[in-house]
Parts: sequence; C-alpha cells; structure tokens
Amino acid sequence: MSIDRIAAKVRDDERVNGAEALELYHHAPLPLLGTLADVVRVRKHPDGVVTYIIDRNVNYTNICVARCNFCAFYRPVGSGEGYVLGFEEVFKKIDETIALGGVQLLLQGGHNPDLPLEWYEDLFRAVKQRYPEFRLHALSPPEVIHLTRLSRLSVPEVIERLIAAGLDSIPGGGAEILVDRVRKLLNCYGKATADEWLDVMRHAHRAGLRTTATMMYGHVETIEDRLEHLLRLRDVQDESGGFTAFITWSYQPEHTELGGAEATGIEYLRMLALARIVLDNFPSLQASWVTQGGKVGQLSLAFGANDMGSVMIEENVVRAAGANYCMDEVEIVRNIENAGFIAKRRNMHYEILGDPFFRQQSVPRQLELAVARADGDTSRAPEIDRYAARSAAEKRLRASGGRRTTEQHG
Amino acid sequence: MEGMSAMSMEEAQELLAGRDLIAIGARGDDERRRRHGTRTTFVRVFEVHVDAVPRTFPATAEAGEIRVIGRPHSVDAAVAAVTRALTLAAGASVTAFSLADLVDLAAGRLPELFASLRAGGLELVAEAPIDMLQDAAGVIRMAHDAGLMVPRVTVHAGSTDPAELIGRIRDLQAAVGGIRAFAPLPRTSSIAHPSTGYDDVRLVATARLLADNIESIQVDWARYGPKLAQVALTMGADDVDSVSALQGDLGRRRSPLEEIKGNIKAAGLEPVERDGHYKVRA
Ligand code: SF4
Repeated sequence: MSIDRIAAKVRDDERVNGAEALELYHHAPLPLLGTLADVVRVRKHPDGVVTYIIDRNVNYTNICVARCNFCAFYRPVGSGEGYVLGFEEVFKKIDETIALGGVQLLLQGGHNPDLPLEWYEDLFRAVKQRYPEFRLHALSPPEVIHLTRLSRLSVPEVIERLIAAGLDSIPGGGAEILVDRVRKLLNCYGKATADEWLDVMRHAHRAGLRTTATMMYGHVETIEDRLEHLLRLRDVQDESGGFTAFITWSYQPEHTELGGAEATGIEYLRMLALARIVLDNFPSLQASWVTQGGKVGQLSLAFGANDMGSVMIEENVVRAAGANYCMDEVEIVRNIENAGFIAKRRNMHYEILGDPFFRQQSVPRQLELAVARADGDTSRAPEIDRYAARSAAEKRLRASGGRRTTEQHG
Repeated sequence: MEGMSAMSMEEAQELLAGRDLIAIGARGDDERRRRHGTRTTFVRVFEVHVDAVPRTFPATAEAGEIRVIGRPHSVDAAVAAVTRALTLAAGASVTAFSLADLVDLAAGRLPELFASLRAGGLELVAEAPIDMLQDAAGVIRMAHDAGLMVPRVTVHAGSTDPAELIGRIRDLQAAVGGIRAFAPLPRTSSIAHPSTGYDDVRLVATARLLADNIESIQVDWARYGPKLAQVALTMGADDVDSVSALQGDLGRRRSPLEEIKGNIKAAGLEPVERDGHYKVRA
C-alpha cells in the first residue's frame, strides 16, 4: 500500500497493520511521520495538555543474578559494590520527594536472591504505614517473575500479596524487545520470556492494577522485531485496557558487556512517532528525556508524546550506561510551555493533580539527579539479617560477621 | 545560490514564535535541500590554545582544521601561536581567534594587528561573533583589506530578538561578502535555563530561510551534542563544526569520524568531510 494511502488511514482513525507500519518506518519522511503521530496525539489529547509526574526513581538494590548483557547497573552477588537500601534510607528519599511535591516512588531493582517476598511486603507495609497517601509504582514484570521463583508462588499470588502490602501499580520495565530470539541474544530470556512479561501484565490488569509498557531498542533487534513488540502490546491492550502509557528509549551502550553504539536522535523520533501511530489503544506516550536529553525530549512532543515523564529526582540505571541528563520540575514545565502546551502535574493513573507545584510553593532548583547512595557508602541495610540468606556469598558474609573478605561472585 | 525571494522580518518573527515545529522544520529542510540536496559537510577540528600550541600533531588525531582558541595577551603571542600552529600539520587549514578578541587586543590598531597576523601566515579568522562586535562590517572589511578571510559568523550569547540578529548577518554579508557559514545557535548557554530543542530548531530553520545570501548553516557537534545536531541537519543546517579530531576518545567504541558519518547517514543525508577552507578533503 502506498505511503499516502497508509497516511490517509491514520488520519481517518483506521488501524494500521504490521506491514503498513513497516512501510511507514522505512519510507515515510520524518515530517510526515511526525505529522501523523501528532494527528493521533491531538485525537487523544485535544486539550493541548502535556503531563508530567513528580516522583523519584529509586533502585532498592543493584545486586542481580540476571546479568543482562546490556545492563551497566547491576553488580553480581557478593560484589563489594553491591548495595541494598535500608528502610530508613527509603523513608528519607520519600521525605525528600514529598518536599519537592512528589507523590510516588518508582521502585525497581536487581534480582537479589537474598531479598525474599517478605522483604518487599515488609517494605511496602512500612511505607504505607508512614505515608498512607504515597504511591508505590513498583517491581517490573521480571522482578515479579523473580519473586515467583523465590517464593514458589504463582504470578497472581505474588501480585495479590504485593497489592495487599501496598503495591499501587507496575512499571513496564524489563520488556526490552518482546521477541524471544532477541531476548536470548541480550541474555534476558532467563529473567522473563516475552510471554512471561506479557502474562504478568495481564494478571496485573486483571487484579485491577494499571501498568505502563516500555521498549528498549537499538541493540541486536531488527525493525521487524520492534514492530512485533508493539503489536504484541497492542493485542494485550485490546484485551485488558490496563496500560496507561508507553515509553521507548534507545539502548545506552557505555560500560555494558554488549557495547556498540547508541541509536541516533532521529531514529528515536521516528520510533516514537511510529509507536504513537501503531499503539492506537494506548492513551499516553512518554518522552524519554533521560536518555535523549532535554532538547530531543522536548522535540518528542512534536512526534507523538503527550507526557514528559518524571522529574525523577534520582536516577542510577541510565547514568551507569553513560547518559547524564537532569530536568527538574521548573525545567520540565518550561519545556512544555515553550513548545506551546499546557503543563499539568499527574499521578500514575494519568489523573491531573494540578498546576506546577513550584508555582504554589517555592522549591529548590535541582540541577543534578541524586544517586541511590553517596559514593563510598557501603553500609549494610539493617533489615537484611531478618531474612534467611539464600546465596552462598551472603551466607559466607554472615558467617564472617559481616566483613567482606574478597570479591565473591554469586 | 540565493533564495527565490528573501523572507521578511515579520515572517521570520512569526516562524520563531511558531508552535508547529514540524512545519517550521520542513520549511527549513526544503530550503536546505534546494541548495545542498542531501550533501552534508563536516569538519574535524583540532583545537590548540593560544598559550599552549603543541610542538607536534598527535599521532592519534586527524583534522581538517587546526583552530587556535583563547584570547591572546599580546600581538607577539598571537603571531607566535599562528606560526606554530602552521607548522603542526600539512593539509589542515589553520584558523585562529575570535574577531571580538582581536578587536580588544588591537586597542585601536586593528590594521596593524591584521597585517602582523597575515605576515605570520594566517589566512582565516576562526569566527566573527556577531553579538560581540560593534561595527562588524568595518572590522571585517579591515580584515579583508589585510588579506584575511572571515568565513564563519557565530553568535556568542544570542539575542532577545533573534530575527533582528539574523537580519543583521544577512545585511553584513550583503555589505562585506566572504561569509561562508553562519552558526545561529549561541555558543554559550545558561545552566539553569538552557535553550530548548524547539528554540534551537526554530532558530536553525529561520536562519536558513532568512540568511538567504549565506551558503551554509552550521551546527556545532561538540556543543550541541550529536542528537540535537543531527535533528538540526534535517531542519535547515547543512554543515557540522567541531567534530573531534581525536581518533578514539577513551572508553568510546566508535571513533568520532565513524560517529559523525553514521549520524549523518542515519538522517538520510550524505556526509562529506571538509577542511577549514570549506574544501572537500580527499
Ligand atoms: S537489567 Fe535489571 S535484571 Fe537485567 S542485569 Fe540489569 S538489574 Fe538485572
């Protein structure tokens, strides 16, 4: 089918199929892709509002047994650079987040064999007891799968227990590319297959949770793989309607085992626009300023995005792989308004909470994102010893009275 | 090649305030393609500070331009830096100094300073920052009279009325000629309030359309970063300045040459390497 005919379909609000989307990706000029994505954005958000959330991106542990080869963040079990945050550290981060107008934590971490399901339940309960209104957007599908393996419970059972402890919604991380051939090449097939990832989301939606979905492209996948990913997400959304938003970003290669080069800014804008066209049943698309920088992040608003994502406050994963951008609320709002949109604060359900927080109350500017822990802080979270050690490294550590003698790999 | 008909200031102001980024970018791109097609030039620049010009060119570097940067503290220091830079590498053009710094240094004796630099072997002044020059046309004429070329006009800090600034550059070119490239994005930016992506794209597209008597619209790879610079190439810019001359920065897996070529190609454009004289490198 000709590009003009496919473009007409998009304008007429007709769904495009995989072959048509592929044709658009390969042959539509950038301005046309942007224009079509904008048609879809306006259809879904005719009020000209661009949203953002004030939340903090907290990584509770960097210890991970999954060892994805695209990840610069994780440390193996027993590494001297491994950490687990203590509950008090998490509370302190929440206090700082609330002071900046924040309403939730995005809580994700490595697959740490020494943190059982009970650790998460205790943490969530403790958070909810202290901060009843505060939201927990936590544990991407591979983390949920990891907990099913540790606890020997099913996905619905784990989700149910986490909800009972205070889980509010599930972030769409760990999707990478939802094609098993690609997942095997990225060494992330073991942490969750494509079906397993989608299945966690189906169960989460059935349990009444809203979730996001993501895609990390620009490594070993083909364009066809990216499209398969989008179409699989679209199918699940047709069934459940539980996805609130889609976020895509380019693989960040620095300090990773996989290496290689990062996909370019134009490729990001093309991908984003294509996603906006294909994912016609997703209400929102986020801009990924944390990987693309503030400028291309803002340009995303012309290529289909209607949400500037999160103020983040803290970021550890992307920074480990070389990207180091920061936008505080003032900067996010300035970018939204400079592009001609109306800036509104939202929660995870994409409900509008109000006008920018800094216009109601003075908040300090933040020109740099915080990190999980200050450099050189190797303190041990006091709660860990309440739970049985599972890894050999952790058992040895406890037997030696907590002294780390050598760098052990779990 | 000149534009069909010059854009009016009012039109430029409208474009700079416009919200339809795609339409603005497409206008800039149409004009860029009309002039240059997909051809996209870039230059690898080896920067040397006026007070510390190395004796030899690093074995791990390759450049089309050796640029002497920094404000010289004396005429002798300026001439000495140029002479040393000229001995560094065969094949690369040597450019030196900001015209604004030379005006300061000359303290009223500009023709003499220009003559000394020319006698020292300099052909190309590195940049003329339009917003730091009181009488840009007068100064550039003096440079031309001394046999120096001033092929690149830059913007130091920008203006609250960028259309007026671009218009001034168009008038400057009409008055003095010899301006080969105009880099419209400011070379300095506020940390608390950097320019936005929309600002940058609108400025590049408007510069392309309004400065219709200047051949190339340039974007700085090092300052603006590969992502924004690449987008700018699809919305009006056709020339990339300040690609690193080092073959492989520590910890990077692609050389700057591979990176720039890859980015230009990924934008559907054709990379062509040039030197500081804007001549294609073999
Ligand atoms: S991406 Fe996540 S699961 Fe994979 S190694 Fe990194 S922390 Fe572990």
